[in-house]
Amino acid sequence: MSRQQILDTLRAGLAAAPLVVPAPPARPASLPMGADAWARLAEVLAPLDVRLRLAATPAEAAQHVADIARERAATSYTRWDDMPPGLDMDDALAGLSRVSDLGGGCCHALAHVDLGLTFAHAALIDSGSLVLVAGRGRPRAASLLPPTHVCLVPRSALAPDVSALPGLLRGHADTAGLPPSCLNLVTGPSSTADIELVLVRGVHGPGALDVVGLDWDI
Amino acid sequence: MVLTDTFTPRNFRGQSHLAARDARLRAILDHATRYFMTKRGVALEAFADREDHFGRARVARLAALSRLPELLERLERNATAAGTRVHWARDAAQAREIVAGIARDCGAKVVVKGKSMVSEEIALNPALEATGAEVWETDLGEFIVQLAQEPPSHIIAPCIHMSRADVAALFREKLGLADLADAASIPELTLLARRALREKFLAADLGVTGVNMAVAETGSVVLVENEGNIRMSTTCPPVHVAIMSLEKVAATLEDAADLLRVLPRSATGQRMSSYVSVLTGPRRTEEPNVELDGPRETHLVILDNGRAEVLADPVLREALLCFRCGACLNSCPVYQTVGGHAYGSVYSGPIGTLLSSLLLPTEDTRDLPFGCTLCGACKKTCPLGIDHPKLMLRLRERVCAGSPGLAGVAHAFLALHPLAYRLAVGAARAVDPGLNLLPRLPGLPVGLASFVDSRQPPRLKTPFSAQLRRSRKKGGA
Ligand code: SF4
Repeated sequence: MSRQQILDTLRAGLAAAPLVVPAPPARPASLPMGADAWARLAEVLAPLDVRLRLAATPAEAAQHVADIARERAATSYTRWDDMPPGLDMDDALAGLSRVSDLGGGCCHALAHVDLGLTFAHAALIDSGSLVLVAGRGRPRAASLLPPTHVCLVPRSALAPDVSALPGLLRGHADTAGLPPSCLNLVTGPSSTADIELVLVRGVHGPGALDVVGLDWDI
Repeated sequence: MVLTDTFTPRNFRGQSHLAARDARLRAILDHATRYFMTKRGVALEAFADREDHFGRARVARLAALSRLPELLERLERNATAAGTRVHWARDAAQAREIVAGIARDCGAKVVVKGKSMVSEEIALNPALEATGAEVWETDLGEFIVQLAQEPPSHIIAPCIHMSRADVAALFREKLGLADLADAASIPELTLLARRALREKFLAADLGVTGVNMAVAETGSVVLVENEGNIRMSTTCPPVHVAIMSLEKVAATLEDAADLLRVLPRSATGQRMSSYVSVLTGPRRTEEPNVELDGPRETHLVILDNGRAEVLADPVLREALLCFRCGACLNSCPVYQTVGGHAYGSVYSGPIGTLLSSLLLPTEDTRDLPFGCTLCGACKKTCPLGIDHPKLMLRLRERVCAGSPGLAGVAHAFLALHPLAYRLAVGAARAVDPGLNLLPRLPGLPVGLASFVDSRQPPRLKTPFSAQLRRSRKKGGA
């Protein structure tokens, strides 16, 4: 009823006053992805208080993750089951307790975990955005509830800017063509400036975001 | 929008009169509008090919409006295919009923809300509370104004009118924190709010948010934020309701991406907001892709509330292009002087004047379009190229046509607000007419060109939307 009325009103309006849409300007070309991609990503992340650590080997990546856990004084962690191949993150975080039984309510299970470890399906250099696609073994809450979020970025995930978004959503569609239930762009830590316009990191989401670049072919 | 005796655009003149004399408010507004304009200015300066990106964003919005009925049907089809239940609400009452019905059906005792102007517009909270649920605003600024029982004062910063000591006093009283000192630091206050709301997120049965855009091609909703409260509201509770005003559709993912290039930069000077969520249907529960979090049930409410009729007016429908970046508010000499509350509705500043005038009864909003100096700062600032002054004139015409005695109201407003007038005229005088050639940066004074442009003689033809409005009033519906 309402549906039909709304659609009818819209159609009548457009019929009475057709709206002609001009051609848009061409989309400006994305910046080329050169050898300096990591450096540019680090530069965009720095003002967000995010440090990018580059690892040339899986062992180095493990070392970085262990360092971050120590620096952030984490005693427990959760991680996506799904991880880039060749990385043994449980070994890297052996001194911490892993919370992995999320069956009884993911948010409750993760509410008191110190560190969440995920990986990016893409990292957008223009904005420093990490693209996280939720799915089996990749809960949304892992990058949201713990006060520290550590995100691994494979070299192959580097992309110029948000114009990569449509391709990412289509690329992760299921066999029926349905996009994933949740894709997040994460750009820096959770933040607010609502009180007196003073920036505070870490209001509802993680106050700390650390990025480890996996600089080898995966 | 629900109006009360103390908070209504009917009292715009009286409210702005009082606000303009409030020295403390003026100092805060001055600080806030400068802060936003400076951040934005820096971001736009570094934004390569800015005008082309703005142009693409405008065309994406125009394209959506030009095919609105078809795109809404497409959105409905694709959202439904993804497992989302789609509802249509012709007005605020229907929307409230739909959302309250969902709350009752899922037995919601605790509802968490992400910042959403549209839920303010339809006065959702009292309706949800009437179902017996506790309702929590979870955006820090919104949480604070909810505790203070005040309306939000700015699209982007709902509690810019309060100091940290105000917030400490409020938390002391409302959160039972008797020991909290006035001198509590801002990070400390933020942490206290985080703790209080974390409990609510974990207990919540229902999450309610607005949408920044909905993608017809995929049936997805796109939510943009900095705090993570919207992600929490769409991750923890078993049910999520997204409420969209019907113009917020984007035809394709490409259009959505083009809009995302511009929106955060124009709103807060960020290259991207901290969190952008693209949500398509409920969590997947079938093998092989079983997810452990996210809502099991998702709803999308498509709200009209007077917008559909605006589409028939070739001038006024420009207001439907707006994606609520808030930049025009900060640029506006009247808003800078009187702030958000004076407008007496959830929407304030230049775009707020337009939306309130279009969505609320004319008799409640007749003063709003006269609370404008026609300086054109808004038009210069708007990344979507909305010509606010032209629309203001159209609205004035409408007010005057309805009630011929009102032609002098503009003058009366300016006489009452000499400061706003001086500010605008001063700014306009300080520049040369070639200013159109300068980069479109906030904080730059306003071009005379648009000032002059906007002073064209009114057209007196009755627009189709006015005819519709009249027939609706006669015929009921
Ligand atoms: S009218 Fe333009 S500047 Fe104002 S809030 Fe909307 S998009 Fe932003």
